Order: sequence, then C-alpha cells, then structure tokens
Amino acid sequence: MNTFDLVLQATVSGIVVGSVYSMIALSLVIIYKSTDVVNFAGGEMLMAGGYLALLAILVLQLPYALVFGFVAFVTLSGGMLFERCVLKFIARNGSPGHNGMVSLVIATVGLSYVIKGFVRIFPYTEQVHRLPPLVTGPPIFIGNTIIQRQDIVIVGIGFLAILALGLFFQYTLTGKALRAASENPRAAELSGIPIEGMRTLVWGIAAAITGVAGVLLAPKLLLTPDIGHIVVLALAAAIIGGFTSLTGCIVGGILLGLIENFVGILISTQAIEPAPFILIMVVLTFRPQGLFGGDVSAKKV
Amino acid sequence: MHGSPNPLQLAAVCLLALASAVLPSFVGNAYVWFLVNLILTNIVLALGLELLIGRSGQFAFAHVAFFAVGAYGTAILQMKAGLPFVPSFVLSALSAGAIGMLIGVPATRMRSINLALATFAFAQGVTWLLGYWEGLTGGPAGMTVSAARLFGHEILNDDQATPWMGLIASGALASVMYLATSKLGRDFEAIKESEHAATVSGVHVHRTKVIAFALSGLYAGMAGGMLVLHRSFLVPDEFGFTTLVLVISMLVVGGLGSIGGVIIGVIIITMLPQALQMGMREILVWQELVYGCLLILFMMFMPRGVWGALHKAFARKGGA
Repeated sequence: MNTFDLVLQATVSGIVVGSVYSMIALSLVIIYKSTDVVNFAGGEMLMAGGYLALLAILVLQLPYALVFGFVAFVTLSGGMLFERCVLKFIARNGSPGHNGMVSLVIATVGLSYVIKGFVRIFPYTEQVHRLPPLVTGPPIFIGNTIIQRQDIVIVGIGFLAILALGLFFQYTLTGKALRAASENPRAAELSGIPIEGMRTLVWGIAAAITGVAGVLLAPKLLLTPDIGHIVVLALAAAIIGGFTSLTGCIVGGILLGLIENFVGILISTQAIEPAPFILIMVVLTFRPQGLFGGDVSAKKV
Repeated sequence: MHGSPNPLQLAAVCLLALASAVLPSFVGNAYVWFLVNLILTNIVLALGLELLIGRSGQFAFAHVAFFAVGAYGTAILQMKAGLPFVPSFVLSALSAGAIGMLIGVPATRMRSINLALATFAFAQGVTWLLGYWEGLTGGPAGMTVSAARLFGHEILNDDQATPWMGLIASGALASVMYLATSKLGRDFEAIKESEHAATVSGVHVHRTKVIAFALSGLYAGMAGGMLVLHRSFLVPDEFGFTTLVLVISMLVVGGLGSIGGVIIGVIIITMLPQALQMGMREILVWQELVYGCLLILFMMFMPRGVWGALHKAFARKGGA
C-alpha cells in the first residue's frame, strides 16, 4: 500500500469511529445545554448499551434490528429514572448556583460507579466479549481501500440517529419546547412549557443515543466494564465543536476520529493517545469558545 | 476588615502537629500510621483544590497533574540528582506552583465547561507523559522510590514519616486559614460570587485567578512530595482521572467552602474504601457499586456536605 491508500484507509476508519464519537458528544451536549451538568456517566451509559445488546443477543436471542429498539428503550427509561429520582431530588434540596451544580456532577460520577459496579457483579463480565458483527458479508473494495460492510451500517445508523434528533429538535413541538427550555428556562416556564419534565426527557434521549452508540461500537471494540473511558474522546469532540451545537458535535467527532487515525499513520501509534488532549488545549487556547461556539459571555451576573 | 484566624482553629492545628510528632513513638500499629499519612497527604491535596474550586469558583481539573509534578519531581530530584528530601520537596512544590501559574494564564480566559475540560486535557497529557518518558519515570510500570533522607535520617516506614507529614499538613492548614482572612482570600470569594462585581470593586480578576492557580498548584505539589515521603513506589495511574474524581468527591462530601469540610471529606473518602475492603472481603466485587450508591446518597441527603449538615444540626439545637 502506498501513502495515498493509507491516507484513504485512515479517512474511512476516522469517519467510522468519528460518527460514534459524534453521537456520544451530542448526548453530552444536550444534557449540558439543558441542565448545566457535565455527564460523567456518559461512558458507562455507552458500556451499559453494549452489555444490554449482549444480553439481548445471547439470552433473549433478538435479531439486531430489535436489539437497537430494546437497548434504546432500556437506556431511555434508565436515564429518565435517574434524572427524576436522583438529580431532581438534589436540585430541589441542594444549594443553589455553583455548589449545587457540583453536587449534580458528582452524582453523575456516582452513577458511573454504580453502572460499572453493577455490570461487574456478574461473573460473566470478567471475560472480554465481542458482539457478533452487525452485518456479515465480504468487505467492499474501492481501489485499494477496504470498507467493512459493518462500518457502513455504523456510519449509516449513527447519522440517521443524529439526523432524526436534529429534525426532532427543529420541527416537532416537543423538540421546540426542549430547545426553549434549555435556552431560557424562566421564559419557557412562563410560556407553559413543563421544564421539569423536559429535563427528564433530555436525560432519557441522551441516555438512549449513548446506548445505541454502545451497540454500534461493541462489535468493533472489545467489550469490558472499563470501556467507558472512551467518553474522554467524546468530551474532546464536544469541546472542539464548541459544546453548543449539533453541527459542532458532528464536525468535532469526525475531526477527532480523522486526527486519531492520521496521527497513527503519519506520526506514530504512540502519539494517538495524547493527540486529543493536545488538540483540546490548542483549540481552547486560541479559541476559548471552541470552533463553533458563540462569543464567550459572562453568565448570570 | 483583615482579621486573623480563629484562635481555636490555630490551636487545633498546633495540636495536630504535636500529636503527629509525639504519638508515633508510643503507638506501634504500622497500619494506623499508614492511614494517617494517607489522610494527611490527601488533606493538603484537597486544600489546594478547595482553594480553586470551593473558594475561587474556578472549575479547573489540572490538580492531579500538579500532584504528579510534586511527587515525581521530589522522587527524581532525590534519586537522580542525589538531593536530600527538603530541597527536593521545596523545589518540586515550587515548580508545581509555577506550572499552575503557567496553566492559569490561558485558563483564566476560559469559562465553566471549557476551563474544566482544557485543564482536564492537560492533566491527561501529563499522565500520558509519565507513562511515555520511561527513562525518567520508569514508564507505566512505575518507579521505586528510595528512602527519603531528612537531616541525616532515613525515613524507612510510616511511623517515621508521620511527624514530618504532620508538620507539613499543619503548615498547609495554618496558611490556608490565614489566607481565608486575608485580602487575597476575600478577592477569591469575590470572584466566585461575581466576576463583574469583583472587577467593579477594584479586584484585578485576571491576576487574582492566576494567583489562585499558582497557590493551588503549590499545595498539590506539596502533597506530591508528602506522598514520596511515605511511599516507596509511584505509578502514573495514581495521578489520573480516578484520583481527580476522588479529590472532588472529598470536597463535595465534606462540604465545599470550609476547611472543616475538607478535613471531614478527606477522612470519609479515604477511609471508605478501606472500610469497604475490610467489611466486604467476601464480596469485593460489590465495592464499586456500594461506593457509587453512597456517593449519590451523600449528594441527595447532604447537599452541603457533612460539615454543612453538622452546622445545620448544631444551629437548630442552639436556636431551640
């Protein structure tokens, strides 16, 4: 293979992993926008999605098409339940402002331990597992570039999910209400939007999209209870994208996927690991608001 | 308006220094002194982060990186440069403070989430560097630290280290108490409440934030040095995300914004895994789950931390 082919191949893998990063980044961003909380359990939600898929395939023997529905439903309910029972409780009793926000973030850290601990209880998870491929069939060759059929499905489902979410936020009444609730909760409430319910719904949607991302990623990576550290990459993607917009998440995710792969072939595989962090620092030092973020304005005087 | 710290608090700090100097010669349980050293190290580490998050309201996550600079710096200066403990400790703590200041300069331009993540990225980068730079740090496998030399004595076990640890921790506590009542301490709190109001009242916001970063780095660096004093082994993983989360949970469980809260939080979070390990020998796999549940329950039922809950309970009793 010459360098050109390598670059093409890296582009393909970059887009594939990048689309999954975009999904997780999106879930982090919608939670952050509507509740001001960084969800540190995002990686564990992803892991939960992977293990739920494993359960659905091995125990319930569902076909993949139903597995997605199953995982989305369970993670959606889990996310909403956590928001309703834990976060709402803390927000109601906690100190207002800065310190109250810290309590919420720590609660998501607690959730990450709970999910990880729960998965670990089952002796079955001690071994490493790999989900069966999403689709089978010989890889597709374009020139010298190899594209796995599964990768096409991953990118396809990833983008469909993001697109569906985008349309939902843009055109449906609930979607508009959700945006209004995160834009200006006070005004939204005065317009009759039940913002409490909206927050619960956002957590559900975010958990579901992360769960589905987990199902997409699990056949490619090895499934272990520690797979959640991948959330760091999604955070990087969200930051690069400015932590505000859907487009930012997609661009950030794909950019990060591409950079990881290019660094791997052009510099060294050892440089892959620090690359996202260096990227975050460079982006934020020169553009403190991220690539797609608006002006940095002081919040709430 | 410049007061000085509560004399009772200062007396408690002196007592801590005295107790850690005298008691190890009488009580002979090595495990107890191991725990005490761990707690003293974590107190200094958490005080540094409290200064930044609790007092100045800066959500910066580079703390573990400064901790690492202090620990590896002290260990490397001792072993490769052959310096005794005290100069190695001072030099490394100062470098950690200087790096904190350097990070503070660009970081103070960022807000909330971006600040948190840029500093987090820096910390991850440092952890990676510790694993990568094998010649200096021993790589991911870790490095063995030789016994610290203090005024001609070698520190070979935990109870020999405790008096020195107590001295450093008391110094750190006393300095934070003085800081809290100084002009600088008030500037920190002013920035936390509102940057605009602080600017209007004549606080140099940017400079004050950089100072907060530098001081926070200094304390973390000191904690790193303390780690080397009672530890014979360092691994890069110890300075990663898990430790960061642990330190933040210490602050939140204890109660943000007070020194008493820091101490209580440190003791609870340091002892909890030890207690779980002892009480749950048979069911060790449950440890993570129980820890997570406890963390959530603390947040739900003690939103202002244990310190805040105690305060409230006493206030109620006093009122009745």
